[in-house]
Amino acid sequence: MHKTYRLGRVDVPVLRGVDISVDEGECVAVLGASGSGKSTLLHLLGGLDRPDKMDAESGIHFRGRKLRDFSSGELDRYRTRSVGFVFQFYHLLPELNVLENTLVSAMVGKNRISWAKEKAACTQRAEMLLERFGLGHRLRHRSVELSGGERQRVAIARALMNTPDLLLADEPTGNLDQTTGAEILDAMMALRTETNQTMVIVTHDTATADRADRIVRLVDGKVVRD
Amino acid sequence: MYQPLLTRRYLTSKLMPLLAVVAVALCAAMVLIVWSVMGGFLNSFLASGRQMIGDVTIAYGREGIPHYQQLMDMLEEHPDIDETTPTIETLGLVSLPFGESKDVVIVGVEPEGYDAVTGYSDRLYWRQREATGDDERRREAVQQAVENGADFSELPPADIRLDLPEGFEIFGERLLVGDPDAPAGAGWESAAVMGLRVSPFNATSEDGFFYPRFPGAFMPDRSITIRVVPFNRRGGFTTAGTVDREFPVANEFVSGLFQVDSKWIIVPLADLQQMLRMDATERVDPNFTPGADFVNGELVIRTPEVIGTSPARVTSVLVKAREGVTADEIEPIVKDIYTEFAALRPPGTMDSAPDAEWMRENGIYTWKKKPGLAEFIRQVESETVLILFLFAIISMVAVVLIFAIFWAMVSEKTKDVGILRSIGGSKLGIAWLFLRYGLIIGVLGAAIGGTLAYIIIRNINPLHEWLTHLTGRAIWDPAFYLFSRIPDQVEPGKAAIVLVSAVLCSVLGALIPAVRAANMDPVRALRFE
Repeated sequence: MHKTYRLGRVDVPVLRGVDISVDEGECVAVLGASGSGKSTLLHLLGGLDRPDKMDAESGIHFRGRKLRDFSSGELDRYRTRSVGFVFQFYHLLPELNVLENTLVSAMVGKNRISWAKEKAACTQRAEMLLERFGLGHRLRHRSVELSGGERQRVAIARALMNTPDLLLADEPTGNLDQTTGAEILDAMMALRTETNQTMVIVTHDTATADRADRIVRLVDGKVVRD
Repeated sequence: MYQPLLTRRYLTSKLMPLLAVVAVALCAAMVLIVWSVMGGFLNSFLASGRQMIGDVTIAYGREGIPHYQQLMDMLEEHPDIDETTPTIETLGLVSLPFGESKDVVIVGVEPEGYDAVTGYSDRLYWRQREATGDDERRREAVQQAVENGADFSELPPADIRLDLPEGFEIFGERLLVGDPDAPAGAGWESAAVMGLRVSPFNATSEDGFFYPRFPGAFMPDRSITIRVVPFNRRGGFTTAGTVDREFPVANEFVSGLFQVDSKWIIVPLADLQQMLRMDATERVDPNFTPGADFVNGELVIRTPEVIGTSPARVTSVLVKAREGVTADEIEPIVKDIYTEFAALRPPGTMDSAPDAEWMRENGIYTWKKKPGLAEFIRQVESETVLILFLFAIISMVAVVLIFAIFWAMVSEKTKDVGILRSIGGSKLGIAWLFLRYGLIIGVLGAAIGGTLAYIIIRNINPLHEWLTHLTGRAIWDPAFYLFSRIPDQVEPGKAAIVLVSAVLCSVLGALIPAVRAANMDPVRALRFE
């Protein structure tokens, strides 16, 4: 995979031929310094961006199908159903409360009728996930009323709401203290074990990377050691 | 389904959307108020202008139209013409009680025919009225004030129509006063009906009814003296000088048109014809030499030989169309019939009708084209269009304001766009989020603006009175705008157009920002600070 961004008149290559594979159920850590292209890789894997098209075989393949061949609607559905994102800075919607922030990923792609049918079940799942993460008593609180760790838990609950095949976590503990970060990782790993979920964690922290099944090192947009 | 939830939260969590709602509301209210008042003014003017003059007028000024009865008979034979009536309109002076006098327009009519053509009797103001709940409350308030020792001069005026005898208006309808129990016509004398604003002795209460300012000022109890200048058959002054006649006042009328209510005095046609020397008279030998002759030894004064009769004349004939037929439809019919009439009355004699070609061009017109009225209608229509055009431009400002507010809101919500895209929100879904936002702001703004406009329009007259009291200056001068009251009706059709337009403008203002949001790069959006 290659990815180049254009900043003004300058082309900035971020990924310079990354070739990785992730097996179903595997947890892979992408380790690299700031600016190595880790987040860009994650965005490409999640369909938020598209890699440069170099040849017929380059690109991202998900269960044997090229993401490049997905229409925009299929790509949206891919992000809704198959992928769950967890970001370093949580990225919660500030106007919504904890329960609503979790539910919003289940609301996407549904119309009034389908949501009416599934609302009860989705709400039950959201409450279960939040209870699991110790937020059962904070359902009506806004994100500004939560600590960093609590916000990240909500973000994880949102990412897991649709039982995605693939969880993509971009520095999930990067904005947290060590203790809280460890707790978050424990929660994520516990859930992964229960559901055999495929996970890609981007981090610059070796301690976090060591929790994964496999580490991929990224330096200046290239895989150094897989 | 996330759009309804987010729209609700966006609307209630920030001040900016409220500003957008206020902008839409004020623009909608502004346009609706102006259009309603101007449109109402034009409608009132058109409705009032039609009153008192029928659908089509045949007019020839001071020289008058002779043998008008024949013309009327010919007109009424046509199936599309319902009624006709003769009138005379002339300038004059009136001497009112208490030393007041003013210049007026004297209109001579045959009451029954005039009522059939114009609905005149419905305009008579002094008639018995049934008391309403408000009247009872007013009476109780007055009684209470009196019991509390209030001075008589401080009490609000009473509506004397509540105390008039039943059928009081019959004198005004017939332009006669007399003993109602006497046999028809016996002892009855001709009377006048004045516009309610001719007399300076009538005031308007806060509740909108008229009342005499002081005891003795009730005009139907009084008489007036009218002075006119008779004209000869060539339209010039006669050597007879002015003619005065006293008329008891039978009633007063309200057309709603200030110029009519403050100037017109209606009297019986026959009386006015006599005063103006427009009645039928005997014609004598023009070569007659006054003198005396001796016949059989006796001195006999010569009398002129009567060689004919000069027909009575009127200055106009009013025509009413049959129900369902418009004035524009009968105008050419009236012209054709007049042409036939004029052919029966060729030029060169006392019985000649005014020239048909001239009359077709200048003397026969619908009420909308009546000289004086037509120019005013055109002017008001042009001003309405101009003002609406200007306010449409101002409303564009609201669109730009909405656009600016939404551009700022979308910028502020850039990260939200990135989040929603990351969880699978489509471009269309993002665009719909902001368009929906614009739609709701438009609907809320239109609803508030419509309600505000309705309240202001329905209370515009009390509001105007309050402003007049506050500033000491009348913004709506009836002498200029022709109506005593500012139009206070909201037409549902106009309201619907304005409010729907407000919603569309709001959506339009949100459109480009919505498209911008939809096309944002989700990665950049997530990184937005």
